[in-house]
Amino acid sequence: MTLPAVEDIQALLGYEFPGGRYTIAHWENFLLTECTGSGPLPNDLAHPVALFHVPILGAGTSITEMFELGHAESGVSIGIESYEWEFHQALREELEYDITGKVTAAERINTETQTYDRIQFRFDLTDRGQAVASTIVTWRYRRTT
Amino acid sequence: MNVHVGTEIPPWDMPRVLPERMRTMAAILRDPYPVHWDRRVVATMGLGERTINQGPLGLSYMINMLHAWTGHESVKRLTMTFPLPVFEDDHVIARGIVTAVSQENHVVYADCDIWLDRDGDRPLIGTATVLLPD
Repeated sequence: MTLPAVEDIQALLGYEFPGGRYTIAHWENFLLTECTGSGPLPNDLAHPVALFHVPILGAGTSITEMFELGHAESGVSIGIESYEWEFHQALREELEYDITGKVTAAERINTETQTYDRIQFRFDLTDRGQAVASTIVTWRYRRTT
Repeated sequence: MNVHVGTEIPPWDMPRVLPERMRTMAAILRDPYPVHWDRRVVATMGLGERTINQGPLGLSYMINMLHAWTGHESVKRLTMTFPLPVFEDDHVIARGIVTAVSQENHVVYADCDIWLDRDGDRPLIGTATVLLPD
């Protein structure tokens, strides 16, 4: 795979996903919570780790599309730089959230040992206009060509 | 709750990272990254023949630690980096220590350094802000 033009990467800055709505189903939260090694949470609470996939899917995108957007050489070429999560309210099952998402940074990084494109995504969850949570996902798209 | 800078959060133990949980997680996340469910792909990367745990799943162990300490609605902020992969069958322990205590509108928060411990390695490192119970 050829190295994407740096201009194409920089042009991703400001890109907005379609946006949409997402409801965390009980079955989904049950299985997700079980995967974490925790028992079910009380009071219809969703496990906070849902703040990884719920914003992505709710904003009308997917991990696959986010890989493709940055011209990933393959799934294994992606490295996680960091996640930053903020909760204004606890997440709950069976509550429909409004979700927006966009690219907030896109740049080529050249070091002595590697070249990668650093792409940062921000997603926001709201409930009837009230902020619920936000997440910033920063990935490194490693380039070998 | 008596919390001060230097307070150690009670650790949370994950005795064995299970590959079947990674597969369930991959389906829920719609995560196509094969290192979470195909050992052959991990082997081609020269990382051995154990699947690699999802980053959010490792992060969830630290959330569970915080839940056990300060309650299920206490987590306000998390940052996380992933210096090393966590593999199936790994034994990891979520740990943390309080770095600051602050008060805002009669509500008390604790800032913490949090990490996963694997035989002295720290494959996940981050910070958390939690609401302290009365």
